[in-house]
Amino acid sequence: MGVTGIPFLDNRYPVTMDVWPMEAKEFNRIYPFYDNLKAGRFTTTKCKKCGHIAYPPRVICPECYSEELEYVDLPKKGKVIVCTEQLRGVPLGFEAPLVHAVVDLGAKSPVKRILSRIINCPAGQLKEGDEVQFVVFDVPAHPIEIKKETKMVERVFFAFEPAAK
Amino acid sequence: MNKRNACIIAAGVSVFGERQAHLVDLFQEAAKRCLDDIPGLKPKDIDGLLVATSLGGRTSTQINASPVVAERLGIHPTSICTRLDTLCAGGNSGIILATALVESGMSDVVMVTGAEKLYTPERWEVFYSELNVVDHDWDATQGLGLPPPFFALHAKEHMNHYGTTKEQLAAVAVTNYGYGAANPNAQFQKKLTLEEAMSAPTIAPPFTLYDCCPVTDGGAAAIIACEEKAKEFSDRPLVYIRGTAQLTLHSVSANWPGEHFGDWPHLRLAAKRAYEKAKVGPNDIDVAQTHDCFTISEIIEVEEFGFCKKGEGGPFVASGQINPGGKIPINTDGGLLSCGHPFGATGIRQGAEIMKQLQGRATFQVKGAEIGLAHNLSALCAEHTVVIYGREPVK
Repeated sequence: MGVTGIPFLDNRYPVTMDVWPMEAKEFNRIYPFYDNLKAGRFTTTKCKKCGHIAYPPRVICPECYSEELEYVDLPKKGKVIVCTEQLRGVPLGFEAPLVHAVVDLGAKSPVKRILSRIINCPAGQLKEGDEVQFVVFDVPAHPIEIKKETKMVERVFFAFEPAAK
Repeated sequence: MNKRNACIIAAGVSVFGERQAHLVDLFQEAAKRCLDDIPGLKPKDIDGLLVATSLGGRTSTQINASPVVAERLGIHPTSICTRLDTLCAGGNSGIILATALVESGMSDVVMVTGAEKLYTPERWEVFYSELNVVDHDWDATQGLGLPPPFFALHAKEHMNHYGTTKEQLAAVAVTNYGYGAANPNAQFQKKLTLEEAMSAPTIAPPFTLYDCCPVTDGGAAAIIACEEKAKEFSDRPLVYIRGTAQLTLHSVSANWPGEHFGDWPHLRLAAKRAYEKAKVGPNDIDVAQTHDCFTISEIIEVEEFGFCKKGEGGPFVASGQINPGGKIPINTDGGLLSCGHPFGATGIRQGAEIMKQLQGRATFQVKGAEIGLAHNLSALCAEHTVVIYGREPVK
């Protein structure tokens, strides 16, 4: 079954329509972030020269432009500051209820507040002050052509979910 | 050499809404209405063209739009011809750049035009494509392409910090729909009651239907010219661009520059920069067009522009201060909420209304308006553009 209206896209991968990042090292110099993610770690880059921690991860330090960076861990637990949920009209690829929260990662975190999707969370349950935790999940793999070979690249991504009681 | 003065001398806005038209058709409609507004000016008199469209490359499959638009409009630009993309702020970005080109002497007469065709043959596609308008890999991947959840969180934090109420949000929608009811180009030409606004279907709490601007097709165009050319081509009172600012302090929502989402320091800074350049302050503004993509946006904007104290935006909008005869009538053509929001066109629509206000020919005319202000933000509020217009140039 081809793509309706565009039959020649049958069995092709159009990256222009992909919502998930190109995580493979062939297409991304911050691939260690995604490798760490696959190991369950939430990381970003820290400059070895000036110590600045930037989020999201970089290939240069935005403060001193050094290229000597290392990956450091970010907090994986936080508290809901405010939240909302969309029950209708969510974008393709996401399911209702689409729950979002501003998550307080703590005063010591280089990233104080993060706006995240809250998954594994029934509609109407989440409230301000609730504990949430980092969660990694699979997203669709995609092909990459390398010379004449095509390999499939596995991908993951992250969100937060209500903390285990 | 002294800096030259730049004026907005003509503008036109297409019918906004769900349009049976192609992107390139909408550019032509807008340009015709713009030149119909200034009979003395012909396409051959235009030496620069700035084209604002963001989703053109997705929903209309045209990425490199400026030569296409120039050709279809019969314009042969010799000083500048380029597309710019700052999403919701594209129109104002174009006016800011045209002002700089004219003031510097690089261009004399610039058309700034913006259009979007956002309704697609299947309804899912624009919502899906909008995932690409924010910081893609870090925010869109959290399902944040569509802005209602993001601004709903702004409303919740503003409510928590300042006691803003749902009724105050609704007051913005009622006011702006009231203005838009008289605008023949608006997407929704109907009045709205507080009861209707309060009982509308939920989108993302605390937002209900009328708290959110719609998806819109449409185009707008304006002419920015040096003072000498403005006097040559226009018989109307001159409207000068006195001061502008455009700034960005962050992109990913996690790097929000404020203490919380009810605090917009980047808009405060943009407003300060524009006020300083225009040599005016908040009390000098007679009429404004602020970016009401959501009702909460306008409430926070009246605070950050200094029209009222920080935290008092809710009572300010609900007490009639933005209505006809109020302290500062805002979005007097209906704003984004009622007119709709074809991204690249919006800043130009706003400029068109301020120009009419300062020339004394607006539908909801603010008597004796001398100074007007237009403001766009874009995407997840990562960018602010401000343009201050006046009947007199900065001295």
